[in-house]
Amino acid sequence: MKKILVLFNPRDRFGDWWDRATSLQRGMFRLVLIGLFFALPFINNPVIDTPETSFESVLFYPLVMFAIMAVGLNVVVGKSGILDLGYVAFFAIGAYTQAVFGIFTDLNFWLVLLLGMGFAMLAGILLGVPALRLRGDYLAIITLGFGEIVRIIAVNTEAIGGAAGLTGIPSPPPILGMEFSVQDLRPYYWLSLTILLLVLWGIVRLSHRKPGRAWEAIREDEDVAAFMGVQTFRYKLWAFVIGGAIGGAAGVIYASQILSIEPKMFELNLSIMILACVVFGGMGNIWGVIFGAVLLGYLPEKLRFLTDYRILIFGILMVVMMNLRPNGLIPRKKREVILEKI
Amino acid sequence: MARKVLEVNDLTIKFGGVTALNGVTIHVDEAEIAALIGPNGAGKTTIFNVVTGYYAPSSGNFLLDGKSLVGQRPHAIARQGLSRTFQNIRLFGDMTALENVSTAADGLNKSGLIGSLFGSPRSRRDEFNSRKKAESLLQFIGLEHRAGQLARNLPYGDQRRLEIARALALNPKVLLLDEPAAGFNPQEKSELGQLIRKIREVGHSILLIEHDMSLVMDVSDRVMVLDFGNKIADGKPREIQRDQRVIDAYLGVADHDS
Repeated sequence: MKKILVLFNPRDRFGDWWDRATSLQRGMFRLVLIGLFFALPFINNPVIDTPETSFESVLFYPLVMFAIMAVGLNVVVGKSGILDLGYVAFFAIGAYTQAVFGIFTDLNFWLVLLLGMGFAMLAGILLGVPALRLRGDYLAIITLGFGEIVRIIAVNTEAIGGAAGLTGIPSPPPILGMEFSVQDLRPYYWLSLTILLLVLWGIVRLSHRKPGRAWEAIREDEDVAAFMGVQTFRYKLWAFVIGGAIGGAAGVIYASQILSIEPKMFELNLSIMILACVVFGGMGNIWGVIFGAVLLGYLPEKLRFLTDYRILIFGILMVVMMNLRPNGLIPRKKREVILEKI
Repeated sequence: MARKVLEVNDLTIKFGGVTALNGVTIHVDEAEIAALIGPNGAGKTTIFNVVTGYYAPSSGNFLLDGKSLVGQRPHAIARQGLSRTFQNIRLFGDMTALENVSTAADGLNKSGLIGSLFGSPRSRRDEFNSRKKAESLLQFIGLEHRAGQLARNLPYGDQRRLEIARALALNPKVLLLDEPAAGFNPQEKSELGQLIRKIREVGHSILLIEHDMSLVMDVSDRVMVLDFGNKIADGKPREIQRDQRVIDAYLGVADHDS
């Protein structure tokens, strides 16, 4: 029975095909897939459409936003094995960067995007340098505290709006004649999807190279990684900084769409939600994590017809799924190449 | 007289009130296979943990090729040519055999994360070199057919050998082997003996902790004996076997008063 299951394992089937595929075939596959995702707002399919929220807005938030953040958090939690419970802080820093610089200065949106990522990276360093000397539960508690500190600073700083937050955040300037407006959310979706693709490009590259190996070695056994010459502190800090930059980018784009932000949007809940996407999808597997984020973002919207019972059913679904696939929807287990001994 | 590659001088380390090592002085010569033996709890693995930078010594120093390693971080010590295996196997279980070895080989490359991200010429060269080196080491150790398998799915003996290959990827001047024969049958032990000699032939000195006396006496040029944190003997295998203090340490001392 098990053998038959292995034979029809879609992941292995796809993996075998991918390994044998020519670069032309791979390129075509990528192109079709990316094209499909960019075309999603035009597909008015009642099966995938969300009944009570506009599908375009669901595509932008939560789906792609969750996916970007989950990919960022996955570098920290899934790849390097550092439990971060305050990831929302980086998202908040990005969002506030866009709000403050968008409202009070007339800096170009793209510059603010870089600035938001820069601030988030800086925050990653500020948090990482003292915190990464600790491990496991202790580190998790520090990151939890960090997430709260950032939010509370926002509540108590009147210059950035205090508890009421900031309103009148400008939208990005038009790209290729596409206007970013409240009426049409598709450009936001396309923008965030492009950012997600860029992030994926970078993370996949890093994963297959020296930094990816260093992160995995740290996750597997930090002491041994150090004994084997891995600069553990440096690579843990890099994981924090890269995860932070990605969260910051998501925050900038999110704020540019939402028009007004307040500290309440950046509570622990969101950190937990993104962490759930990572765990649910398959810690350490970038495709699993995206799948998890899309599903966890999509289900609550799809289930809106259940009204009051929506979150209850969502919770039950999560419990059932985690029992069926405790390592996530697409676990990180690598495909092995087994050769017969000659 | 042979040149000392690794020197440990008057090393003392205390954990609370317990003196784990008490003024131990040992060394490893160039191209030598030295063994470190002693009853359980004598402090053998503690020496490994000190010289690889995991524990800070209470006093004493240790030098690799004449340069002091005291106070350096484990990764820095490893990169200077002092690498080790572990008594209880500690591979990167969810990584393939090849990745396990190339992770260690990466330690000798200077390229950084930004270079890897944008594919700088140096990072590409380093990637290529790490991979080539890992492949040739797997071949050296006889595990080339296991390259694509996850470390945790390898048979026990292969895991032990993979640990050796991983440690060799750092081009160690001295390779520290912590009970490499544990759990081996006689056939595997004799193969391990040959492998240890082969490692010496390609230019690494070896410091071996081992409980299997036939293996120790067979491969070692010199044997040092620890007991309760003190070095009690140092000499050729044949001398050690006849040393009264060593025999006492292993078998216990007869009551002299009666």
